[in-house]
Amino acid sequence: MALKVYADRMSQPSRAVLIFCKINGIDFEEIRVDILKNKQYSPEYKAINPMRRVPAIVDGRFKLFESHAILIYICCAFPGVASHWYPSDLFKRSKIHSVLDWHHSNLRRGTVGLVFNTILAPLNGFPSNPQAAKEGKKLLMRSLSKLEDFWLKDGRFLVGSSQPSIADISLVCEIMQLELLSEKDHDRILSPYKKVVQWIKDTKRATAPHFDEVHGILFKAQKRFRERMATESVKNEVKSKL
Amino acid sequence: MTLKLYCDRMSQPSRAILIFCKMNGIDFEEITINILKNEQHAPEYKAINPMSQVPTIVDGDFTLFESHAILIYLSCKYPGVASHWYPSDLVERAKVHSALDWHHANLRRGSVGVIVNNVLLPLNGLPFNAQAAEEAEKTLVKALTILETFWLKDGPFLTGRSQPSIADLNLVSEVMELQLLSEKEHDRLLSPFKKVLQWVEDTKSATAPYFEEIHGVLYKARDEFRALMAAKSGENDLK
Repeated sequence: MALKVYADRMSQPSRAVLIFCKINGIDFEEIRVDILKNKQYSPEYKAINPMRRVPAIVDGRFKLFESHAILIYICCAFPGVASHWYPSDLFKRSKIHSVLDWHHSNLRRGTVGLVFNTILAPLNGFPSNPQAAKEGKKLLMRSLSKLEDFWLKDGRFLVGSSQPSIADISLVCEIMQLELLSEKDHDRILSPYKKVVQWIKDTKRATAPHFDEVHGILFKAQKRFRERMATESVKNEVKSKL
Repeated sequence: MTLKLYCDRMSQPSRAILIFCKMNGIDFEEITINILKNEQHAPEYKAINPMSQVPTIVDGDFTLFESHAILIYLSCKYPGVASHWYPSDLVERAKVHSALDWHHANLRRGSVGVIVNNVLLPLNGLPFNAQAAEEAEKTLVKALTILETFWLKDGPFLTGRSQPSIADLNLVSEVMELQLLSEKEHDRLLSPFKKVLQWVEDTKSATAPYFEEIHGVLYKARDEFRALMAAKSGENDLK
């Protein structure tokens, strides 16, 4: 029975799991759970993941959620996975655990706070919180500085590695969510962080062609959102002139 | 060279590691970094952990922070550690990872939010933010509900286990931080969650006598904070 991956390509951790499976040639079935249409709240999905979040996997009778736990499980359960993704050396592995843990309350929390409250909520009719957006941005900027000055100080990839690990896929997929911002905001936020920008390119290259393919839906959404924001901005300008 | 553990017994993840080391007879040196006095921001400590947080370990040349990563490292490095703390079975281990990961944005976020808004801000004379306090309580109650109905549904310990894992140590230490609330608030929040309360007791018993010993600093702070809040409230009544 093939591995089932319940995912939405608009979700950063879903993309990380999908790219990882594809790059390692893992046989799996992708089952879309459309979060913007609230499909994660259906009773069928609740039976898979009572937390009603994506991603989740089902491997035979075993169900698992939380993307870091999923990535680690797949690394260990499927023998074809190259060891650089989750090294067996205890020191290297511990550093990967450390950055994956740091991610939750830092890069992820900051990115989600900013993108949800400035783009996803307003454009999809959910309530947004400007204070949360402000705090999200502050945390995001602090996190990007820590990536630039600490996590990427010793190598092309996180924690001084010369090859990518599951941490690189997870964190880069998170940063990709910033593509939903306007081009101006995206560039303004990221361009000071040269190592981060290079690391994103290196991770894309290391997981080509799957990285771009899995991010296709995000880029389509980016185009739609940017067009809508541009239209709103013109409308507001016209209004103010009238 | 002995393992060094930089920690503060007021910090939930610090306590989890201290209890773990003592339970497993791991030889270590405890170095207190007093977070209420902002010692985590001192340049000497920043050189050890640039995130300026506790806990951190230094094991010879190797420095590590983030308590889940530290607990896993210690479980793997020291052969004397009983296997129930970090199961070797892939499926069991994955469930422990899942609970530890869930913890960050759920129980921890809710609990920290409630303590900051209801204890630390008022004690430091800072303005109360009702919206932040409400959201934090909502997150905490949701997390306690998920613990009650999901994580503890199949066994005395998390993920259906009959013996504690590193996840139990970490998450119970988090719940213990709520002791800093007034007795009334603590009971109001926790009393509906019978399995959670039992689980806290079971984890205490499984890690006796170290659990109570390491929580001593927290209990002292609790008594001090409650006395201070009562005095403030008395002053307000007089006014």
